Formats: sequence, structure tokens, C-alpha cells
Amino acid sequence: MPMIEREIQSGEALQVGNYEITPQAQLYRIRIPGCRAALAWNRPHAVIVRNEDGSEEVLPVRDVTREVIWSILAGGLLGTLLIMLMKRAR
Amino acid sequence: MTDETNSNELENTGLDRYQETMEEFLSAADVRVVYGEPIQHNDTTIIPTAEILCGLGFAVGSGSGTDTGHNPDNPSVGKGSGGGGGGRILSRPVAVVVASPEGVRVEPVFDVTKVALAGLTALGFMVGMTFRMSSKRRALTSVED
Repeated sequence: MPMIEREIQSGEALQVGNYEITPQAQLYRIRIPGCRAALAWNRPHAVIVRNEDGSEEVLPVRDVTREVIWSILAGGLLGTLLIMLMKRAR
Repeated sequence: MTDETNSNELENTGLDRYQETMEEFLSAADVRVVYGEPIQHNDTTIIPTAEILCGLGFAVGSGSGTDTGHNPDNPSVGKGSGGGGGGRILSRPVAVVVASPEGVRVEPVFDVTKVALAGLTALGFMVGMTFRMSSKRRALTSVED
């Protein structure tokens, strides 16, 4: 069994008005070797929309909160490094 | 010897059952848990989506020992086994899928509290590091003086 397993799963298509919506989820299964523990991380990946003319559109599901949090933390780390470099240069 | 073998068999059976439970738990994680039931409101249908993180772990153990300290002629033998496990499920809304006659769009969910907490953490880290560096410099200057 692999330690980290990644899978994109498609759910059942849903008919909403003239659109057919197929949800997709991204699943990570993590098994920790040496101990009997497992982690499953399931998040929405995208929504496939089929219009009545048959054309398909893929709408990715963005996790804005996570993106902003990582940006803030990266900015904080970068800011600290810059302050350290500036103080050393003086 | 027989007791020890029985104990090991019991332990292995328990471990196998736990392993099966874990595999069932992992296979239960699928697309249905991420997308909620559609909510109809007039012409608009809303499908909530969430991120699910779940963890599970367990362990079993057994041991035995012989005490010859009190009575070396007739040592007392003791053994025991035990096990435990736990798990946690975390859920967080990520976005909502809005389907209306105008089209289908994905509206992200913005968690202001989490972002504010991250911002305060980053700010605290920056201020802390700056103060630490200033106090080190001041300490060095006073030593030189």
C-alpha cells in the first residue's frame, strides 16, 4: 500500500436547470508507516458544468482562505528576514 | 507458553480488526462528504462544499514479567495487555457552487477570523524577532562599554 495516495474522484452528475453539474473532489490518503495511523484529506477540486449545447466548462474550486493565510505567513517570514538583513547592514 | 501464544493471537486478531476499520474509514472518504445536499431557493440552487480532514490511530501492546525478588523459590509471574485509539474529524467550508439561470459560478468562502488570527501570528512573530534582535544588540553594546 502506498504511503501517500492521491485521487481525483468524480461524483454523480446533478441536473440543475439547463446545466449538468459534476462535482470533483481531491482526496489524499496518508498512511504512516510503522504505526497504525491514517489520515484522509478530502477537498473540493472542481465542478464540471455541461451546458445544454453540450459544451463543457471546468470551474476550479479555490480555497481563498488558505491562499490568504499562507500569503500572510510567508509575508511575515519574509518581512522578518528583511528586518534582520536591514539591521545587520546598519 | 500457551498463555503467551493466546495473548499474541488475541493481539493479532485485534490488530487485524483495527486495520480493517482503518481501511473502511479511508475508503469511506469520498466525493459525497465534500459536497453537501443542494439547496433550492427560487431559481437558484446552492451546493455547499467543505474540506474534510480526518485522522485515526491506534496501538496495542502486551507484556509479561517475573518477580523473583520477594520469593526466589516461587517467583510470581504477571502479564497484561492493553490498547487504545482515537481519531478526529475537522471540517471547514471552502466554497459554494451557485447555479442560476444566468449560469454556474463558484463563490469562495472567506473566513475572516482565521485570516485575522494568521495575520496576528505573523505580526507577533515579526515584532518578537525585531525586539529580540534589538535586545541582543543592546546587550553587546553594554558589554563593549
